[in-house]
Amino acid sequence: MIKAGLIGFGRMGITHFSILNTHPQVKIMAVCDQSSTMLRVLGKYVDVKTYTDYPKMLDDSDLDCVLISTPGDSHAEIVKTCLKQGLHVFVEKPFTLASVDGHAIMAELTGKSLVNQVGYVNRFNEVFMEVKQLIDAGAIGDVVNFSSEMYGATVLKDSKSSWRGKREKGGGCMIDFASHCIDLVVYLFDKPDKVVGSIMQSIYSSEVEDLVSASFIYAGGYSGNIYTNWSDETYRKPTNILKVLGTKGKIIADKHAYKIYLKESDPKRGLDQGWNTRYITDFGKTTRFYLRGNEFTNQLDYFIDCIEQKKYDNISSFSEALKTDIIMDEIVQDAARSLASDGATPGGSIIPKKSREKASMWKRIMK
Amino acid sequence: MFDRIIFGDNQFFGINHMSEDKAQAQAERFKDLKAITDVIDIAYDCGIRAFMLNTHDRVKDICDHFRGNPERYADLVLYPSMPYAHKYANAVAEKGIFGALNEYILAGSSASEIVGMVVKGGMSLFEQDMLKVMQLLVDMEMKIFHGLNVKVVFLQNIVTDLLLGLKAKDAFIGFSSYLKEKYKVEAGFNTMNMPMLVDFLLECGIENPIVCSSINKAGYFMNPNKETYEKALNEKKFRAMAMSILASGAIKPKDAVEYICNQKTIQSIVFGASSRQHIMETKELIERYTH
Repeated sequence: MIKAGLIGFGRMGITHFSILNTHPQVKIMAVCDQSSTMLRVLGKYVDVKTYTDYPKMLDDSDLDCVLISTPGDSHAEIVKTCLKQGLHVFVEKPFTLASVDGHAIMAELTGKSLVNQVGYVNRFNEVFMEVKQLIDAGAIGDVVNFSSEMYGATVLKDSKSSWRGKREKGGGCMIDFASHCIDLVVYLFDKPDKVVGSIMQSIYSSEVEDLVSASFIYAGGYSGNIYTNWSDETYRKPTNILKVLGTKGKIIADKHAYKIYLKESDPKRGLDQGWNTRYITDFGKTTRFYLRGNEFTNQLDYFIDCIEQKKYDNISSFSEALKTDIIMDEIVQDAARSLASDGATPGGSIIPKKSREKASMWKRIMK
Repeated sequence: MFDRIIFGDNQFFGINHMSEDKAQAQAERFKDLKAITDVIDIAYDCGIRAFMLNTHDRVKDICDHFRGNPERYADLVLYPSMPYAHKYANAVAEKGIFGALNEYILAGSSASEIVGMVVKGGMSLFEQDMLKVMQLLVDMEMKIFHGLNVKVVFLQNIVTDLLLGLKAKDAFIGFSSYLKEKYKVEAGFNTMNMPMLVDFLLECGIENPIVCSSINKAGYFMNPNKETYEKALNEKKFRAMAMSILASGAIKPKDAVEYICNQKTIQSIVFGASSRQHIMETKELIERYTH
């Protein structure tokens, strides 16, 4: 039996609790959250020990692993503490808020045989997994260009009061949305050699960006773009769209289906010349317990399997997630350089929403 | 006894488990209320009387339409499902779980009701009794169906399955007994994990529970697998309702219906369709294979 502790009991923490609580090989020993109200509710209806202080929870409970679902600004400290105590760690994305923290965690991890995983759940989505296999096997030839997009209606007004509206707490479209987009790029194509043309723009938020776009260049002679917007109300729920152009065809994928276009038929894979559509229902498997999507269960079951089998080369390891953190740092720097060279907002990286008002005022005056 | 055929509503709200493109196209087609009520009328005129409705924002308009035409819909039977979780998801993301609950409860209540709540639960409502919070939420959602003939109220699958994972027995017992006592209707549960849920509900002491889940020949959305579903259908005492019988179009209608009707313990079949031809075909198939 693997003994688990949960730190952070918000929306993701509850989801992880529910999925892990049905795992036949896991016993959840304790839960820690800063909200004592939440803990009292949990303690009243569910059989588990609760804490408001995570070091105390770690001291009191004889744990094998922890799942961390706290806001991003606390990840670095908690992860390091857990690693020091010899615990296997699953931490929600983002890995950390700055790559310097990620490097420090990697130093702490060195020499330790501990399973380390970041909650980049798209890596466990059956469509994206199949797309990776197709690309790696050369089904669409050599990659020429890709785009990784993510849309959602998460922020439709300035949410100053929430952590989501504060950069230092891990808010902003970059960390919440673009991290998923970028991780998908790292998963499929690895880290780009250069980041250019970065834009971070505010639509509603006063302190963080609501839109991020950037172009990636690879030494291998191909390129790609990311575009993310969490203030797009035309999407009912967060949606990833991936497009990959190759020398022999093209793939367009979301979480539920993919379309593949081939210049020539591929009988070995049962693919015709032209467009072929595959739905997740055609190849997706069922899962032992379903909550919000197979991938949420699959990623935690994989984490537990890795612990049981002492497998340390994780699909969604800290070192993979650190690549995404580094790219995010590069986008911030690149966006700041672009703005500074215009003299628009020296030092800042976000095109503020105010500037649009100024621009329209200028247009009126010019008329 | 439940209605053998229940008309579902996912197609109206841009919900398609298989394809985001299809979902988008459906959302566009059913932008206007009239496009929705036209399809409901086709189903009604085919002889379908039972309708499953999620408590989506649009459902209020649909219910207003039903109330406005009492003669047209004299035999209407509703099987609502609550809550429509996406309505809450963004608020929870922004304000946290308790902030969102507070906002919804206060926004959906009159001044006198808020005073009543303070008396009933005190200001620290959440700490004292989460079940009271659930009752307040049920009351809010039930207002949408006021004056209409409600047969069973379902707990929506994301909430059901989350509570199942938490093993929160009191929540299931509380939901069932509150609906029975206050509204004189039975509670049902939508789930993606039917066998596990049935076992748990029986463990909770909820006798002969009503459970609605995807059941189809292809085994899609049947977790952990089709065999465990068939075993539960044959061996456990519960009232089974089947949805996603066509597995979003992966199975031919005839094969789909034949499979469902061979599972003799399934009482009701929920299906959604958007055209007269599909509605007629599916209904006739179900009737043919039922007898």
